[in-house]
Amino acid sequence: MIEFRGISKRYAAGQLALYNVNLKIQAGEMIFITGNSGAGKSTLLKLIALLERPSKGELLVGGTPLNKLSRHQVPAYRRRIGFIFQDPHLLYDRTVFENVAIPLLISGMGLVEIRRRVNAALDKVGLMHKAGSYPLMLSAGERQRVGIARAVVNRPTIILADEPTGNLDPALAQDIMYTFAQFNELGTTVLIASHDHMLVERMKKRIIVLQKVEE
Amino acid sequence: MAGNKPSRKPASSSGSTRRPPRRRPQPHQRSFSGWINQHKHAIRFSLKRLWFNPVSTWITLAAIAIALSLPASLSLLLTNMQTLTDDKREVPTITAFMKENISEQQTKDRAELLQELSEIANVQVVTRDQALADFKNITGFAETLETLDENPLPHVLILTPNLERLGDDKVLQAFADRLKSYPEIDSVQIDVEWIQRLRAILRIADHVVLVVAVLLGLTVLLVIGNTIRLDIENRKEEITVTRLIGATNSYIRRPFIYGGLWLGLFGGTFSLIIVNIALLFLVSPVQQLASLYGSNFTLSGVNPLMSLQILAVSALLGIIGAWLAVGRFLWRDEVVD
Repeated sequence: MIEFRGISKRYAAGQLALYNVNLKIQAGEMIFITGNSGAGKSTLLKLIALLERPSKGELLVGGTPLNKLSRHQVPAYRRRIGFIFQDPHLLYDRTVFENVAIPLLISGMGLVEIRRRVNAALDKVGLMHKAGSYPLMLSAGERQRVGIARAVVNRPTIILADEPTGNLDPALAQDIMYTFAQFNELGTTVLIASHDHMLVERMKKRIIVLQKVEE
Repeated sequence: MAGNKPSRKPASSSGSTRRPPRRRPQPHQRSFSGWINQHKHAIRFSLKRLWFNPVSTWITLAAIAIALSLPASLSLLLTNMQTLTDDKREVPTITAFMKENISEQQTKDRAELLQELSEIANVQVVTRDQALADFKNITGFAETLETLDENPLPHVLILTPNLERLGDDKVLQAFADRLKSYPEIDSVQIDVEWIQRLRAILRIADHVVLVVAVLLGLTVLLVIGNTIRLDIENRKEEITVTRLIGATNSYIRRPFIYGGLWLGLFGGTFSLIIVNIALLFLVSPVQQLASLYGSNFTLSGVNPLMSLQILAVSALLGIIGAWLAVGRFLWRDEVVD
């Protein structure tokens, strides 16, 4: 499903984030990426979402080398990925419902279907009762869950989560992880970057540990 | 991954066994109904934006309406003046005023002689008594005229030239000069003269209106472009986020283009309202003036075709202005944090 072939990433500022990463992830797998901060966890996810381009090496997703995708194909590719950011990047002038609906609006879905899907996604993250609230009225954890609902509402093939439980208390963090596991059971490939070793160990999934590149 | 989006049926998980994702066509992407839905969302959203920023919306609309109503009313003025000249264009007449000491009989003799000329299609004699009577009827100067001891008006011949011989302005002028040389005739007036002069002025005015219209059209373009640009600046965050989620450039562009369209369309509508209100103020004084000149000229308003043209132009300006503003933004590099 996802294959890294000798991927290196050096940012314009000069720091080397990833060096010669070779990695194969099967479709429907759930994988944790751990490592100290600065080890390149975020970069690895961003490369898959095409938010960054590798400096070296080849990255294949679903058999397609990503460097072959043209500027025009990128949006359609991204719509098949649900990305959960460390900062959920919600739009503060829209309600929770409207925020979660954005990916579906982009896909051109009708309002009835949108309502059904958004409610389902909000239900999944336990925020049905907050549908009409604005992000500023929510706690950090609730905002993060809105971000998750938005990432999964379009039923992506791949879910990428960058520290999704960073702002959550342990019980809630566990809950969120189980939610991801549920999506995974339904066939979605899930990659989660997290530095919470305890939590990651408990999930009993494949774990990839990144180490900081020594130059 | 590169092909169709696999999808899963929710709540049909069969435990922990991993199943390959099932494939089915993407119903909501690239389909016509999806495209329609996207437009519906963009329309709804852009209208909502206008509605929720009332101050900036109204200021922009007012600027557009005023900028558009100026060339619109100028061209309306021109159209009206052109209809005024159109009335007489088909029947240019030459009026020959006889000398004061010429009798009615002499005038009629001259008329008969002129009738023989091939340049003349028709000759009409207006005696001084007839002229006085007409004058009284038309101008309402009856009482003033009563006070005069004798009729100050001369006999008049109204000549309709044969256009086949006197179609050209120069030939017409030469013929008028020839008429003048007759001993009975005091002065000759070609009543197309003032129309010709007016038409020449109107031609210049036409160009002036065009220049004004282009300049003010450009103003509208800039006003709308700038409004949209500010809107884009305010929604940068939103654009970044939707891009990360997979919005295409046309998806991002669409609500802004609609925003420009609404500004143009509503601005154009308001300019029509302004022009029509201004017309209401003008109708009765113009009619009064026209009646003083014995004309039944009435001010013609903005006809439906012209209204449509104004709306089409303003809408187009809105779309172009928005397009330029968004295009400039979209060409910038994608920013990812």
